[in-house]
Amino acid sequence: MTKVIGTLFFLMIITCNVMAHHSSAMFDKSSVIEKKVTVIEFQWANPHVWIEISILTNSRTVDLWSIEGRGPNSLFREGWRPHSLQPGDVITIRFNPMRDGSNAGGFIGAKFEDGRILGQWPETT
Amino acid sequence: MRLIPICFIFALVLTLNAEELPDWSGVWGRVEGNGGMFDLATTKPKDGLAGEEGVRQYPPLTDLWEKKYLASLELAAKGRLPDPISRCGTPAGFPRLLALPDVFEFVVRPEQTWVITENGPNILRIYTDGRSHPAPQDRWLTYTGDSVGNWNGEVLEFSTVNMVGGGKTILDRSGLFLSSEAKVKTRMYLIADGLLKAELEINDPLALTAPWHVVRHFTRLPQGAKAYDYACAENNRNPVTGAGQTLTLDTAGQIIDKVVDQ
Repeated sequence: MTKVIGTLFFLMIITCNVMAHHSSAMFDKSSVIEKKVTVIEFQWANPHVWIEISILTNSRTVDLWSIEGRGPNSLFREGWRPHSLQPGDVITIRFNPMRDGSNAGGFIGAKFEDGRILGQWPETT
Repeated sequence: MRLIPICFIFALVLTLNAEELPDWSGVWGRVEGNGGMFDLATTKPKDGLAGEEGVRQYPPLTDLWEKKYLASLELAAKGRLPDPISRCGTPAGFPRLLALPDVFEFVVRPEQTWVITENGPNILRIYTDGRSHPAPQDRWLTYTGDSVGNWNGEVLEFSTVNMVGGGKTILDRSGLFLSSEAKVKTRMYLIADGLLKAELEINDPLALTAPWHVVRHFTRLPQGAKAYDYACAENNRNPVTGAGQTLTLDTAGQIIDKVVDQ
């Protein structure tokens, strides 16, 4: 029984931790952007991981965006690894955009073309 | 002659066998507070996130310190609360460190217990070798303060004084802070296998009208879990302006934000 409780607590901890190092007030948490993008760089470092991506715009130009994730330590315990994302990976990414419209956001989840998921992804029916 | 009773106390402590102390080994995570609030019992709304408008806790603050808290809440709601740990330079301090995310280690020895937080990092040193708090002339304010205590069976009881206060440390990102006159009495003990409870009684003659009781729990993570370096300055792309705004930098260190409030 205690093992079950421990596991539940553990799942609660690894799935619900919020950002810790700074305020997340710059992100509009009521808004979600979902885009198919290409990974330019994945920075696995404290205090937050960063996913640098390129987004193809409607006018066929490429915009560079910086998407901030949580810390590598807690992400590692959730199954992420330093090379979970590689330059050139094509992913669909979901993030909360910046309130001021600048090219950055707070990471929610990513889905690879083979169906693998990092972070949170809405359940499909 | 003064050495005799001190030696006697140390001898008593050393007779405490490490095997008689509770097993708090392993890596632990906080149970409460995924919204980042320090005192969940008085937080409203219950599932509120620290720093969001309308989310606060209700310690028994004096009128003056309630005004200070309201001022912090207003800044937090605007995204302008200057959280000292966001600058990657100073520890979170006690008692905030008990509410940090990431993992904890509790190293229990007869003469001392260390609470080590991965996030920060912070180290709370609790001396259980019979010593008292330092004499007033030997004290100065530090982030984790000075902690001394004893084992009462399998319960670690300790008091903490001399903590930096007044906004140089805060308790959570709603912006609550206490004065440097605050004193904390803490009891820590296992309430089940792998479930550790910390009961805090916080007294502050400047900020509080009555003792403030806060409870936090920690759960042991599965065997094999470990703590890692947390080097906050390693790749900090979120500097904070003098106005308390958290900026976002690109990979070249240039500001991404369209609006910068200095």
